[in-house]
Amino acid sequence: MHTVVMESLEEYLAGALEPAAQRTIEDHLSACRFCREEIRSMQDVSQLFLSLRTEEIVESSPGLYARVMQHVGRQKARPSFAGLFGLELAFGRRLAFSALLTLAILGGYLVSRETAYTGGPSPEAVMAQQESPAFDSAPAPDNMLVTLTAYEH
Amino acid sequence: MGTVTGALPVPAFGIRVAAKPRVDYQNTPEGALVQRAQSGDETAFREIVERYQSKVFSIIHGIVRQRNDVEDIAQQVFAKVYLSLKSFDFRSSLITWIYKITVNECFDYLRKRKVRRLVYESDLSEDEVRRVENSEPAVDRQTPVDSSLAQRDYILKLLTRVSEEERMLLMLKEVEGFSVEELAEKTGMNENTIKVKLFRARQKLVKAATRLERTPGLVTG
Ligand SMILES: [Zn+2]
Repeated sequence: MHTVVMESLEEYLAGALEPAAQRTIEDHLSACRFCREEIRSMQDVSQLFLSLRTEEIVESSPGLYARVMQHVGRQKARPSFAGLFGLELAFGRRLAFSALLTLAILGGYLVSRETAYTGGPSPEAVMAQQESPAFDSAPAPDNMLVTLTAYEH
Repeated sequence: MGTVTGALPVPAFGIRVAAKPRVDYQNTPEGALVQRAQSGDETAFREIVERYQSKVFSIIHGIVRQRNDVEDIAQQVFAKVYLSLKSFDFRSSLITWIYKITVNECFDYLRKRKVRRLVYESDLSEDEVRRVENSEPAVDRQTPVDSSLAQRDYILKLLTRVSEEERMLLMLKEVEGFSVEELAEKTGMNENTIKVKLFRARQKLVKAATRLERTPGLVTG
């Protein structure tokens, strides 16, 4: 679209141009097919917006404020729920993917360990040990070291 | 048609447009009301709800036309206003900000309704699905969209192809009937910026319409 049309496009589409400016645009449009076609498409689309105008008076119901505050209360009451489902789709997908990946790697690792060191404690045993109350009551870093050492040998 | 526009850089509009001082929304009676609400004054927020509820209702009704759902959406809009009022920075007028939230909520609602409808449609027989497909807005130039309902579906579909900001500007211009000058005042942007943004948004709409006409089945909505 040429500058002469583009500059006054909004006023032209709204039918709000001064007669002199209107003539200038029309002169250009009658000579320039490109602008003529593009502005016609824009006019077509512009027309469609009329369907979104509403003459109807929509009565807002009394007591809206009270219901809004209830709504706010409900939203505040479940922040973790909202947070959980408010995860961006892409992020959620990455999260799911990395979880799967972790499982796959871990699974593969455990299987390979199990087959290579049949004499050592099984992964289940290690996990059970980690879950046992005794594990929790002892100083954590040492216990972890013991667990890993037991697992290695 | 696209070639000329595409090749031209967006010109600097508004050699004739004098820069106007921005409206300082913070120092208006409305600004004072917002500041009271921001500092936790519930009666100030109540006043905001009461002042703008009928406007919000009519914006929602204009877009979704489902009387039963208007109230639900309005509640959601004002809940969002309440929860994010602290981030309102007075660069635009309050109603412009609320307008944007309202339009976004409406499009969110339409998107969710579409998902629900798709799920529902999957249970239909082939004949029924075909009938539903045929009830989609006409997308061929030879069969002009004439019913207001089809026109509304069609423009709403096109509006999903532009950004939230572009959608808001287009709606304020085309539906609310504001001039570029008024838009500048309401949004805190300058007139040239508004003109460039509107021009690009209109190009996107035309492009989306052309694509829809070429492949009616591709873009559903
Ligand atoms: Zn031209």
